Amino acid sequence: MITNPLFAYMAVAMILFSIGLLGVVSRKNIFVIYMSIELMLNAINLMFVALSNYHHDMGGQVMAMMVIAIAAAEAGVFLSLIIVLYRRKKSLDSDIFRTLSQKEVV
Amino acid sequence: MHIGILSIIIFLPMVTALVFMLAPLSSRTTRNAAFGVSLTIFALALYIYTHFELTGLIQFKEFYPWIKSYGISYSLGIDGFSLIILMLIATLIPSAYLLLWNNSRSKSYWISMLFIQSGISGTLFSLDLFLFYFFWEAMLLPVFMIIGLFGSGNRVFSTLKITIYTIMGSLFMFVSILYLGVAHYYEFGVWSFALSDLVHITTIAREQKIFLFFGFMLAFAIKIPLFPFHSWLLQTYSTSPTGGVFLLSSIMAKLGVYALVRFMMPLFPDLFVEFSFYFVALGIFGLVYFGIAAICQMNIKKMFAYSSASHLGFITAGIFALNIQGMMGSAFLIVAHAIATGGLFLLVGVMERHLGIRSLSGLGGIATKAPWFTLFFAIMLFCTVGIPGTNGFVAELLIVLGIFHYNPYLGVLSALTVLVAASYMFWVFQKAILVESDNDVANMKDLRGYEILGLLPLAVLIIAMGVYPDLFLYKIEPTLQHYLIDILHVGVK
Amino acid sequence: MSALLAGIVLAPLLSSVLIGLLYMISITQKPLAKMWFTAPALLAPFISFSLGVIAFLQISKTGEALHFEPYLWLSVGEYKIYMGFLGDKLSIFMVLFITFVGWLIHLYATSYMSEDKGYGKFFFYFNLFLSSMLLLVLADGPLIMFIGWEGVGLCSYLLISFYFKDNSNVVAGNKAFIVNRVGDLGFLIGLAILFFYCADAGFSYENIALKIASMPPYLLPLVGLALFIGAMGKSAQIPLYVWLPDAMAGPTPVSALIHAATMVTAGVYMVARFSFLYELIPNVGLFIAYIGAFSALFAAVIATKQSDIKKILAYSTMSQLGYMFIAVGLGAYSSALFHVFTHAFFKALLFMGAGAVIVALHHEQNIFKMGKMRQVTPVVYVTMLMATLAISGVPPFAGFFSKDEILLVAFGRGEYLIWGIAVFSAVLTAYYMFRLFFVVFEGKNALHVNHPHDVSWVMKAPLVVLSFGALFAGFIGLPSLLGGSHLIGSWLGEWGGRVLHVNHETEWLLLALNVCVSLLGIGIAYKKFYAYDLSKHKEATGIVYNKFYVDEIYDVLFVRSLRKLSEFIAVSLDVNIVDRFIMGLSHDFIKLGHMVALVQNANVRFYALIMMVGVSVASCYLIWMVD
Repeated sequence: MITNPLFAYMAVAMILFSIGLLGVVSRKNIFVIYMSIELMLNAINLMFVALSNYHHDMGGQVMAMMVIAIAAAEAGVFLSLIIVLYRRKKSLDSDIFRTLSQKEVV
Repeated sequence: MHIGILSIIIFLPMVTALVFMLAPLSSRTTRNAAFGVSLTIFALALYIYTHFELTGLIQFKEFYPWIKSYGISYSLGIDGFSLIILMLIATLIPSAYLLLWNNSRSKSYWISMLFIQSGISGTLFSLDLFLFYFFWEAMLLPVFMIIGLFGSGNRVFSTLKITIYTIMGSLFMFVSILYLGVAHYYEFGVWSFALSDLVHITTIAREQKIFLFFGFMLAFAIKIPLFPFHSWLLQTYSTSPTGGVFLLSSIMAKLGVYALVRFMMPLFPDLFVEFSFYFVALGIFGLVYFGIAAICQMNIKKMFAYSSASHLGFITAGIFALNIQGMMGSAFLIVAHAIATGGLFLLVGVMERHLGIRSLSGLGGIATKAPWFTLFFAIMLFCTVGIPGTNGFVAELLIVLGIFHYNPYLGVLSALTVLVAASYMFWVFQKAILVESDNDVANMKDLRGYEILGLLPLAVLIIAMGVYPDLFLYKIEPTLQHYLIDILHVGVK
Repeated sequence: MSALLAGIVLAPLLSSVLIGLLYMISITQKPLAKMWFTAPALLAPFISFSLGVIAFLQISKTGEALHFEPYLWLSVGEYKIYMGFLGDKLSIFMVLFITFVGWLIHLYATSYMSEDKGYGKFFFYFNLFLSSMLLLVLADGPLIMFIGWEGVGLCSYLLISFYFKDNSNVVAGNKAFIVNRVGDLGFLIGLAILFFYCADAGFSYENIALKIASMPPYLLPLVGLALFIGAMGKSAQIPLYVWLPDAMAGPTPVSALIHAATMVTAGVYMVARFSFLYELIPNVGLFIAYIGAFSALFAAVIATKQSDIKKILAYSTMSQLGYMFIAVGLGAYSSALFHVFTHAFFKALLFMGAGAVIVALHHEQNIFKMGKMRQVTPVVYVTMLMATLAISGVPPFAGFFSKDEILLVAFGRGEYLIWGIAVFSAVLTAYYMFRLFFVVFEGKNALHVNHPHDVSWVMKAPLVVLSFGALFAGFIGLPSLLGGSHLIGSWLGEWGGRVLHVNHETEWLLLALNVCVSLLGIGIAYKKFYAYDLSKHKEATGIVYNKFYVDEIYDVLFVRSLRKLSEFIAVSLDVNIVDRFIMGLSHDFIKLGHMVALVQNANVRFYALIMMVGVSVASCYLIWMVD
């Protein structure tokens, strides 16, 4: 399986996805979380394209185009949110936003 | 559409209450309307009483399908046992209104009373289990409002306690009801929640039946209350306003006993007979336990709360004695206790209004200031203690005889009833009413004319039922016989 | 004709209701003159007495009892209980002296209570009592009798705590009621057993008597004992006697009527009524006789040291009741009833005389503060002398014949221990009664605190009438030994008891012994108290004076422990254990809620982690588990 050319692409995509996933979960900086999300999306793109080429099916590449478009839209929303949140709390620490928690509510 | 008399009895208070909720009328008008409604219901109940036939079967039936796809119907009916409770309600509530006349300036008080009356009547007449559950819960919510809004002391806590405690028990009952409905569907292919259909279910295994039985019993045990499900009692009775505590102790507790007979006997006759010993013993235990606990209470309302629980335990014991004396005695004690305890609570309410205190240590020597009050208090007291000449005696005698038939040793224990109530009732009479103390009771005024008018029918009933009990019992005897012979297959003795 | 039985019961009942209504009007609206109350109050017992006489003549003529069943009281299952009256020789006999003595005491009370504000209320209770007592004796079955039985207990409570403003009076009333109720507990159990077996054809004495043979034999002693427990309470025998001395807290007419002549004899009546049962269980009868004997002795001993005039009389009542129970226990029902009859006369007289003396001395009740009353109230002196001679068993006064008969029965049955106790008690009786008499009416250096005055003729007239009774009542039971025909025994027929086999010489010997015994007691009392120096009197102490501390023992054993138990239940058990358990359940729910709420910590990365884990698990499931 390792000699399979697809394997290399899949491996890279998986590794990138994992890195992105771990980044979302373990990093506190909102920007880094966003970057990790983008990383995951790109990894998925890579996987789609590689599989499309392997199966000679255009569907994968169509999906990849869709994901790119959605990622772009999401970027716009996400970055605007970060700006508003920063204005509120003056910090980029994601742990600060706790008002919905059990203990904070009086 | 033909509107039956039972539906009128159920919905008249509810409709009146809704009208007054929405219309901007004063509290005094609402109170007068509520009183008028209660008198109307008395008249209707009288009509039913006089037209009631002695067949032992259910009469004045009404039936409309409600939720067809699940077989839930609007099914009403009345038989001897519910008849006597209906007469009780119809007679007591107008008297209570007369004594609660000046108790509140707020509309919601009277509206809540009306809703409670509706809920009570609905529970009483339902022949469909789902409908019964509906009214069972519906009767609780206005009580929640009355205690929470108009009570004293720690009223929010106590109203939450009673509501949640009761609803928790009812939940188990609800599960059992649903189970029965589903079992009926599996067996007959048709959905139905009507009692007359559910009694035909035969495919429930014994273990499941026991679970269902105790599911129902939990709800009733909490309502009555039976030991050990009584801890809501003290808190609630002592913080409730007079109207609330009157309705709770006189009527709603009896509905728990009524539901026992109406639903438990037909649905689980074999289990009813099988477990009867434990419930008779539990009832007698409650009689003694609560009676003794009442002796040291300094708060009159708490003492009467325990007294209530004591008598209700005895009533339950009578029902489970499985013979005609026990059941007749229980039916009679239901009436006797409701009148006496209801009257006592109303009198305590009057005393609270004048003096503002309920603790025995702050009272004394009321007799010379309020002779009518003392007279009625004494009559209610004698009924509670079970002195011959009052219906309390007839009732307790019948129950003792009934339990004796059932089991002589339990019968001997049940005879303790002659001592139990006497020990605390005479004590409270001595401390609060008779003996003069240093406490300031100068504000105590005697009962006013309309208050005497309200209490007079109660006193007359107590004595009339004690002197000529058969006049009041002959209408319900066929029903009780029917329960014993046809349903439980227990012989007559 | 038999409806007049109902009339006997109804007359005082209706009168009491009328008086009650008038009284309520009198205190809430306009005060009414005393005559409004006096007239119905005196009329009612008179009507009952007249009807009783008519009934007596009727049944003497026909020899048949009167039955009257006005209505069906309760019908339950197969059993039908009728409100019924039975007028046979036993009940009419009781009715006659109850109404006669009762009427005299009512008359006496109109003067005794004349100053009291609760005059109307008194006669309301008094007539109600009379009605209940008449119902008790005229009932045709034990259940209806029980109604009267409890009714007299209730009226006893109401009358003892008549002066209710004072705590000790109400406590005494409570004590009377509750001790009575303990007795009623036993009665109820006996009633229930009888009902179970004998009530098929109606629950009347005749029906029960018919069916009693069909009951399992081991139950009969149980029933007899259970019913006797009721009698123990009502008639103040050991151990349920503690209420009687305290009951003297009530007005003296109450003590005279209830605790001398009528209510306390209800127990004796009941045993006589159930003679058909007690005939079958002679062992229980022997037990009853022993209880009677010991009560007689116990009470007599205590009475020798008491100083309150009414308490002395109360203990003497208990003692005389003991004699009556000796008689019924040994099956000599007519002897017991004879003593009931004579006792009613002289005991009522004694109490009323005591009441006259008390009133004369402005409500002083300690005999050692009296003395020399002979000059103050000569009529009372003479009448009380007759009564005291009667109770001491001096011939030809009434008590002699009835007491002699009872002692004869005891001796003749071979119960020598009982006989001995009874004889010794007779000595004591003569002693303490004359001790009372001499201290009150004679003595030296009397310390009259207030100036004593004589009492009205309304109070004296009944005394005189009753003294005739004390003198002559004995002759209805004149034994054949002395030439009489023992009218009462032959009239009461089936309750006459078994025949004694005592020869005439022994009878004369016993008779003489009784006379000597009485004179002995009188002699000792004369020596000690005729010229007793009242100024040098010291208050007595010691175990006898303190009634053997029985009241204190009962208090600790029952009253206090009950309170402790009540507090234990109400506080420790109910609040701490049962309630805590339920509240604990709800607190556990709340804690569970708190624990679950930890998941909602608003930490975004935590949510992201959960999402990741969830998606992974779901994907794994979909990929590998689903085909």
